[in-house]
Amino acid sequence: MSAAPSQLQSLLPRESLLWIFAAQCAVLLPHMMHLPLWLVAAWCVAVYWRLEVYRGRREIPGKLVKLLAVSLAVAGLALTYRRWFALEPMVALLAVSFTLKNIELVSRRDALLSLMLAYFLAATLFVFEQTIPYALYGILCVLVITAALAAQQGRGSARPKRALGLSAKLLAQATPIMLLLFVVIPRLGPLWAVPQNAQSASTGISDSMSPGDFSELSKSDKPALRIAFDGPVPPPEQRYWRGLVYTHFDGRRWSEPGDATLSWGRGRSQAHQPPEEGERPLPAVGPRYRYQVIQEASHNPWLFALARPHSETPGVRETGDDTLAYKMPVASRLAYQVRSWPRDSVAQDTVLAADERLRHLQLPVTGNPRAREWARQRVRQGLGAEEISAALLQHYHQSFSYTLRPPPLGQNTVDEFLFSTQQGFCEHFASSYVFTMRAAGVPARVVAGYQGGEWVEQREYLLVRQYDAHAWAEIWLPERGWVRVDPTAAVAPERIRDGLQSAAADEFMQDALLPLHRIAFVTKLRLQWDMINYRWYQTVVSFDRERQQGILQRLLGEVSPLRMALFLGVPAVAALMILLLWLKFASRGPRLPPAGRLYLRFCRRMARAGLARNPGETPGDYARRVERELPKLGPMVGKITTAYEKAAYGDSAEAEKQLRRLVRTFWPIRLVR
Amino acid sequence: MSVSRASKSRRGSTPSWQPLFQKRWHRWLDRRLPAAQSVTLDHRKLFVIPSLAGSAFLLVIVLLWLLGTNYENNLVFALAFLLLGLFIILPVHTFANLSGLRLQLREVPAAFAGDYGQAKIALERSGKRSHERLHLSWPPEEGIVADVTDSEPKEVSIALPLVQRGRVQAPRIRIESRFPLGLFKCWSWVDLDVEFLVYPQPKTAGPLPFGASVGEGEQLKSFSASGDDFAGLKNYQPGDSLRHVAWKQYAGGRDLYRKEYASGSDARLWLDWDLLAGRDVETRLSNLCAWVLEAERAQIAYGLRLPGKEIAPAMGPAHKQRLLSALALFPVQGVSQ
Repeated sequence: MSAAPSQLQSLLPRESLLWIFAAQCAVLLPHMMHLPLWLVAAWCVAVYWRLEVYRGRREIPGKLVKLLAVSLAVAGLALTYRRWFALEPMVALLAVSFTLKNIELVSRRDALLSLMLAYFLAATLFVFEQTIPYALYGILCVLVITAALAAQQGRGSARPKRALGLSAKLLAQATPIMLLLFVVIPRLGPLWAVPQNAQSASTGISDSMSPGDFSELSKSDKPALRIAFDGPVPPPEQRYWRGLVYTHFDGRRWSEPGDATLSWGRGRSQAHQPPEEGERPLPAVGPRYRYQVIQEASHNPWLFALARPHSETPGVRETGDDTLAYKMPVASRLAYQVRSWPRDSVAQDTVLAADERLRHLQLPVTGNPRAREWARQRVRQGLGAEEISAALLQHYHQSFSYTLRPPPLGQNTVDEFLFSTQQGFCEHFASSYVFTMRAAGVPARVVAGYQGGEWVEQREYLLVRQYDAHAWAEIWLPERGWVRVDPTAAVAPERIRDGLQSAAADEFMQDALLPLHRIAFVTKLRLQWDMINYRWYQTVVSFDRERQQGILQRLLGEVSPLRMALFLGVPAVAALMILLLWLKFASRGPRLPPAGRLYLRFCRRMARAGLARNPGETPGDYARRVERELPKLGPMVGKITTAYEKAAYGDSAEAEKQLRRLVRTFWPIRLVR
Repeated sequence: MSVSRASKSRRGSTPSWQPLFQKRWHRWLDRRLPAAQSVTLDHRKLFVIPSLAGSAFLLVIVLLWLLGTNYENNLVFALAFLLLGLFIILPVHTFANLSGLRLQLREVPAAFAGDYGQAKIALERSGKRSHERLHLSWPPEEGIVADVTDSEPKEVSIALPLVQRGRVQAPRIRIESRFPLGLFKCWSWVDLDVEFLVYPQPKTAGPLPFGASVGEGEQLKSFSASGDDFAGLKNYQPGDSLRHVAWKQYAGGRDLYRKEYASGSDARLWLDWDLLAGRDVETRLSNLCAWVLEAERAQIAYGLRLPGKEIAPAMGPAHKQRLLSALALFPVQGVSQ
């Protein structure tokens, strides 16, 4: 009895230690991809140390060691990240804090802190990825952490089956509340600007194009865009998803506007101030496409849409090049609504500003003499822009072949491609075409994006993958404005119509470890999986204020404070009522047999008459006492008691009936007075 | 309880600060949870609030909501709401873990002042629900933790340090549980009407006062403690000292017998209040208490003389208890020293 007070309450049960480590491990596992390796190692060391303490081989480290560990960790973080206000350092900081906590994990309070950090770290997982597997893994994490929390309650609760079972039960019960809150709780929108994860490598189409870039992309079957149409759908040969316009050529590399030292955003906003709202009115007529694009995280700001796009999704702006851009790099899946007017259907600006014209005629001073000569010849022949274009396309059509494995090119890439190798991929065609057209004095530019797509599930949406990446050209015709020309189509029209797989059947995805795309069943399964992902994204990940309003409107008819209060209040009140009823019945104890209940009624009446039965007093004793103290009641009480004893212990139905009759007519309070 | 509460001495009585609130609280508790030897916990007797851990949990939820809001991340929202859902259903579970538990006072053995008194309490479930991690204590004492998982009543004993001799009315017992996650605590203050009979704290006052008797005008009588004179055999009674068993006879195949030693009619040990003149009342009682224990240990017939009370010499546990009770219940006032 001399144990120090409060130890029983505060000291960590031994079994629960392993649970805490299990929870931390579960949470850390997916984070390992972006956490520095030393941190993971530090966690392992801390856990090892604590387990040694548990086994009694070591002591909890002293102040000096702790101080050393903290300074090492801080130094490590500072060296690894060099800045604090970003997502990764924040996650790392959380991981460091519970790693350090591990070596002094002694009291319940320490355990609690550790587990609360684990919950938070599990949530940050979703900031990086919002896919179904991650969501499922997140549920697993919460299950384990909650089980670890339950395990803090003691030996019995720490048994794996018990802890997990308890945790699963509680979480299952919490789920309906979660669903309700998910739909009902208003989304406020960001309260302050938050740091995005910056260190992720960008994927997909980059801000420049040099030979080989696109054939690299063609090896990836990762989804890039998912597009769902509302209304008419453009025919396959019109599905050009514009993303970037390259105007600057340095002899090998095509890149975004001019000066390579300018960053993408600045270059664009300086060169082409996007027209103010209202300056370029939306065409009122003509066929237009309405669609929603869900873009995978690319870590680049450019978006993809058909020509002449307009979007009203917040954060999306139009550029002067008929493309869309996002206010920041797309760090996670992004959905945006677009309306597009095909260029043929609307009147275009028919004047190209002088500086624009100059920009679109830019060529390196030297290099590729044969291509320049070829162009000059055509100009000398007096051909117009369209005729030169046609001649060039004819040249491609005659002797070029489309391949994913083009021979390497040397210094003069355009010359070599046009006049010697003549085998290439879309980027070679687009690059050489624009070069030659510019050499002929026709303003031209390379457009990069995706072309085509694959329908999923009864044409619900178009799945565009990385291997659909494509580069094509646009030339300026005085009477028509910018006109799309796809030199690849001159060589491999099936690429435009049916996609890469049919255009390069043998070479397609040759490097893939398993040629899964050749098995129809697997392809179907993968499309199914993609559809599940799409639905997941549609219903859960992109659930926003608008959708919330929509759902509430459908549920309530109209979103007013009164109706909201009713919607929330009615289930709450109902739940409360159920709870109260349950309390009433649960605290009543086991239900008595009929005879017992009748006898209790008799006892209550006796109590009102002023002679209550004592706790623990047998009916017989009670009856004798009543007879002694209130002789007037004696005979009746004796009868009732006998009947009760017979009914309760003799199991006699006759006696029970008699007891019922007797109790019904027994009113001691009247008899006593 | 017919006796008014105020008249009984209670441990941990009202601290000087906020006495009004404390008094009201106790009065309210007394009305709501009257003292009884058997109590079944239900919604009228239980209180539930979030524990410190629960507040931390709530803070995590708020932070998650901020994270979700700022990153416009629905999965983070979902997680925050899931935890909030957990937080909403937990008090029900914590409550259910205590509700329906029956506490019954079994036994309150007497104890010495300066020692711990142990109250034996039976914990029993009244329904099918099991009750886990029940923490019973007399704050600020440590208390004990018990699980009631099967239908058999479980007996536990909780300890209360006793300072004063006499009848000590124990304060309310705190029964608390944070099961299942420790985020909420559900508790009750149960008054099982525990009353300790507290003997004085034994304080030795030298050797047993053999032969020393201060009677009114009586002479000192010599007395031989050993009582050498063998007087005969008597049937052994349970509780008799084994030292006095006639082992020789027992080995010879006869029943258990107790050897009786004769002591002269006056050769009896009187533990006399007056022997300890000059000390204060409590010390005298403590000294007498120590003598009683010693005499019983030595298996000497002993009697007790207190002002206004005399208990004839005898031996055995029942006699010892009788004497000790007399010492415990010796009135504090009204004795001229």
